[in-house]
Amino acid sequence: MKNGKKSLGCFLLLTAGAGICFGMGSRAGLGQSFAYSVEDYRKVDPALIRYAEVEGLLPTIGKLSALAIAPDGKIYVGGENGVEVFPERTIRPLDGTPGCLAVDDDGTLFAGMQDHVEVFSRDGGKTVWPSPGEKAYLTSIAADDRYVYVADAGGRRVLRYSKSGGTPLEIGAKDEANGARGFYIPSPFFDLDIGTDGSLWVVNPGYHVLENYSPDGRLISSWGKGSFTIEGFIGCCNPANFALMPDGSFVTAEKGLPRVKIYNLDGSMRCVVAAPDQFDEGAVGLDVAADRQGRIYVLDPGRSRVRIFEEKK
Amino acid sequence: MKTAGRRDFIKNLARGALLAGIAGICGLLVARKNKYQCSGRCGTCKPVHGGTCPLESDAGFVWQIDPEKCTQCGRCATHCVLTPSAVKCFHSYSICGYCDLCGGYLRPDAKGRNTGAENQLCPTAALRRQFIENPYYQYTVDEKLCIGCGKCVKGCGMFGNGSLYLQVKHDLCVNCNECSIARACPSSAFRRVPASDPYLLKSSQERRIV
Repeated sequence: MKNGKKSLGCFLLLTAGAGICFGMGSRAGLGQSFAYSVEDYRKVDPALIRYAEVEGLLPTIGKLSALAIAPDGKIYVGGENGVEVFPERTIRPLDGTPGCLAVDDDGTLFAGMQDHVEVFSRDGGKTVWPSPGEKAYLTSIAADDRYVYVADAGGRRVLRYSKSGGTPLEIGAKDEANGARGFYIPSPFFDLDIGTDGSLWVVNPGYHVLENYSPDGRLISSWGKGSFTIEGFIGCCNPANFALMPDGSFVTAEKGLPRVKIYNLDGSMRCVVAAPDQFDEGAVGLDVAADRQGRIYVLDPGRSRVRIFEEKK
Repeated sequence: MKTAGRRDFIKNLARGALLAGIAGICGLLVARKNKYQCSGRCGTCKPVHGGTCPLESDAGFVWQIDPEKCTQCGRCATHCVLTPSAVKCFHSYSICGYCDLCGGYLRPDAKGRNTGAENQLCPTAALRRQFIENPYYQYTVDEKLCIGCGKCVKGCGMFGNGSLYLQVKHDLCVNCNECSIARACPSSAFRRVPASDPYLLKSSQERRIV
């Protein structure tokens, strides 16, 4: 009788212990039913990655914000109160942090500050162009032998200046009567570049497309699609940055799910340069540029460096 | 066998009574401690505790989620003592891009960009999408349906501007002294904030709405 009571007591004790363990385990796993994993979207088929990272550049200036490659091959890296030029590693001081940079054939440096452009000639002269408007927020700048194009995310427009500044021509303004849908810019990521034929390429980030304009502002063509797949652009403002390759193809950088890809002239995806797992989670501000040899330069402000990718042999 | 006398019986009775008394006092103390859950605003603590709040230093503070620390693990939906949870999704309209391809609204494998249930990321369809003008869509949170799972918050932060975020709604929260979600939170995103300013809003423009 006594043994029976003991056995019953042990059984109840074990059952209670098991119940508590099971209950605590179930409780710890409760939230998992609502967990939303985006890890699958960070994975890229290795066969698509045709570039390998090589030794990059480590600028001495902080808060990296802009990247440009000059026609003579020099690399300009903008950051806190200055621009560092590679390979000399000279620093050109600025009154502020440039959001974008461009260098023309003459070696003139165009720095897009938040609401105005500052121009630095090769001999050290500085000119400040007046701000294009109260809402101006300049995010990209490009220069060829005739014009300087400036992307104004605040005003949702592209401004075409002459090399000496002056009154700009407005490109891409919304004009529904004439079928111009305008630029849709949910966040201040609005990039542009000049093609080898002198035409202007501009990202319309809300629509996830790149648009081609003639220098006088006429829309010629566009390509791109919004999609969660690797071939498209995800999110509200992608591609966040892009650059034209020597063969006219496009290298794009995305935010949110950071990835760098190359697209052919017809808009089809050629390959991946860098997959999301090659960047830190939450990496933003990835500016891209390409040199004449086809090397891809990626400004990674989170790691305070310019990362360089070369095509695999 | 020796039988217990009357004296022994009384002694045992006194010992038993003493033990029962001690156990009772301990039980009362434990029960009182567990029962006490300061809401910081109920006003009943003073009569109950004789004019002094045992957690005087903590009175006037409430639980809130720091959006910068929140990892949208999903536990806000499952660990709150209330059903549905007192944690709700907040929307900062001034940060939102009003996108068509919204990472907070649409599932990554959505077949289309429309209000079809199969396309929605929210398990309870608490995030509503309304066409404003081409190409803008406005997203609003139906608080009654929101369970605070944070799936939309994760999608918005990952693919969008991060305008969606979780907050403890203080007209619902019972402000447990030891918040059940705070104990389970893997990123220590829960913290005490003054009851007079109980929200950690992403944009000062939202302050007017709350």
